[in-house]
Amino acid sequence: MKISQLLEQRRKGWAELDQMCQRMEGFRFPFRKSGNLVSRFSALYRAACTDLSMADQYQLPPATIEYLHRLVGRAHGQLYRSNQSSAERWLAYCFQIVPQCVFRDVCVKTAFIVFFGLFTLSAILAWREDAFPGFAERILGTAQIDQMEESFSRPLSGNFDQYVMMSGFYIRHNTGIGMQCFSLGPLILPSLCALGYNGVVLGASFGYMTRADVEQGDVFFQFVTAHGVFELTAIALSAAAGLRLGIGLFCTGGLGRLESFRLNAMRAMAILMPSVALFIMAAFTEGFLSPSPLPYFVKAGFAIFSSGLLMYYFVVLGYPTPQSEAALVSNEDYPWRKLGAGNATR
Amino acid sequence: VNAQEPIDLNAVVTTPENIRFEYRIAGPFRRLPALIIDLIIRVVTLFVVLIAGSLLGLSLAISGGVSIMLFLIGLFALEWFYGVFFETIWNGQTPGKWLTRIRVISIDGRPINAMQAAIRNFLRLADMFPTMIMSLISMTMNKRFQRLGDLAAGTMVVVTQKAWVPPNIKFEDHRVPLLCEHIPANFRMSITLARAIALYVERRGRLPLVRKHELASYLAKPLFAKLDLQDDTSPDLLVCALYYREFIAKDLFEQSSAMDSARAHPDRLNPEPSIATVSAPAPMPQIEAPPVMSGAGAFSLSSNVEANR
Repeated sequence: MKISQLLEQRRKGWAELDQMCQRMEGFRFPFRKSGNLVSRFSALYRAACTDLSMADQYQLPPATIEYLHRLVGRAHGQLYRSNQSSAERWLAYCFQIVPQCVFRDVCVKTAFIVFFGLFTLSAILAWREDAFPGFAERILGTAQIDQMEESFSRPLSGNFDQYVMMSGFYIRHNTGIGMQCFSLGPLILPSLCALGYNGVVLGASFGYMTRADVEQGDVFFQFVTAHGVFELTAIALSAAAGLRLGIGLFCTGGLGRLESFRLNAMRAMAILMPSVALFIMAAFTEGFLSPSPLPYFVKAGFAIFSSGLLMYYFVVLGYPTPQSEAALVSNEDYPWRKLGAGNATR
Repeated sequence: VNAQEPIDLNAVVTTPENIRFEYRIAGPFRRLPALIIDLIIRVVTLFVVLIAGSLLGLSLAISGGVSIMLFLIGLFALEWFYGVFFETIWNGQTPGKWLTRIRVISIDGRPINAMQAAIRNFLRLADMFPTMIMSLISMTMNKRFQRLGDLAAGTMVVVTQKAWVPPNIKFEDHRVPLLCEHIPANFRMSITLARAIALYVERRGRLPLVRKHELASYLAKPLFAKLDLQDDTSPDLLVCALYYREFIAKDLFEQSSAMDSARAHPDRLNPEPSIATVSAPAPMPQIEAPPVMSGAGAFSLSSNVEANR
């Protein structure tokens, strides 16, 4: 058989495949209901693959080989389409993998120590006005303190409209800041600075409001108690996710730098997800429960309930067991190991 | 891995069918329009939602708070989840990427999953830092034009544009097979020569006569002596004949064509004097006749044949 005859013979199949690709690249996937077309497509794709693999032996003209590369590439992209994971896999991911990842991550511990350490320190410094005069004023600025005192001078009240609107605002604003913390993670410093800044400023506000001579303190704690648990945890977690991402660039644990960056990005996502969820829950609490004139014990009860929930999720579900180890290993392409241990099994 | 791999913008992918094929990588200036289109779509969507929402709010008497909350949540979702959503459900394409014919895939050629889409879109801010310098630095430092988000997610952006369909070349001119007959059967060309000849022949239909002659001369002139042809043979004709011999008339899997033909026709190995008469302009009546012009692949006489007369 001559080459020209072969080309003549194959050209029809290629053209048909080309046409099918074009239809599949359109807005909607056209063959959802017609299995025979899909099998026709894959048969044509396999034929084109064979032609491409034999191109060197057949000694086809270079332009035809180039055409086949593009055609097979397009068909490959349509045959192996991205598909959504099943609900069970997502559930397993959320309730097995994520708490495990968060519990054993060094970056989470670091971020928590940095955040709550600075928070506590700053709160004490702002509270003890006699020992450290002017600390809160210098950190927060007198203008912001005045504004804070003004906004907490009235007893809490509000209507439904306000609640809804404010929760929308908190979702966009606070969650956005959390995402930014993560997003700037590869540059490391912005994440850490944001974490430290938040810790110091929030701590100073808490400390200032705890002072005996500030009469708005009661209203302030009425407001912050309910959502504080979710919000503060979320802030620390989002920075931990950013930190995990940045650390992966130079604590490679024996992997190549890019490989390590990729692996750590995956682990960082497992930390970011609960952070986003907490931000959103905090936003609704902050929108609805916190500004409502409900008695204080309801809000304190909610705070206790939410800390119990977090404890259960991160500690009970996250405590490492042999089974969870196996789940982590199967979840990643890499064997799960402590970063920095550097055993060269891979 | 071949050390002599050409430096170009192709990424080699090995499929589950064990086929190796190449994707063309999309560079920053192919991706920028997609980014801009997506940005425009987001802004327009936001305004449409804002207007529709306020109209709906007025007509259904939804309280202002709810519509503002929905708007803010929509803003948040558009800001962070636009790319994730589309790339996950739309096979690695956002509307902007779809319009500019590019697509995100994993670096091993698999489609991207939701996790990868999330990673590469959430990291956009680091790439934008300050004024997209980070992404440009990152893109210039690797072979696949990956920005930071792509590096973290293990993805790359490839071109899915339709390929140029190679023409089905047929020579109407009967002198091509004729001249092909007179090329010694033991003549074997190198792969690079065959490629150059193919590149020329596939494009010659669109070239002016003088240009055709000039280009073909580079290929054909050094071969005249080797093939025992006279200097006034049309170079275009010779190149076409070589193409015909290599890519049209040759049998499949014919590795050592010279040896097989030698066994079949032993006399081919020593070229007869008639070759010279074929390539000479005057004695062959076919060459005097006007060239057959039909279709895109039609063959035309090169100018130097007439010039020599």
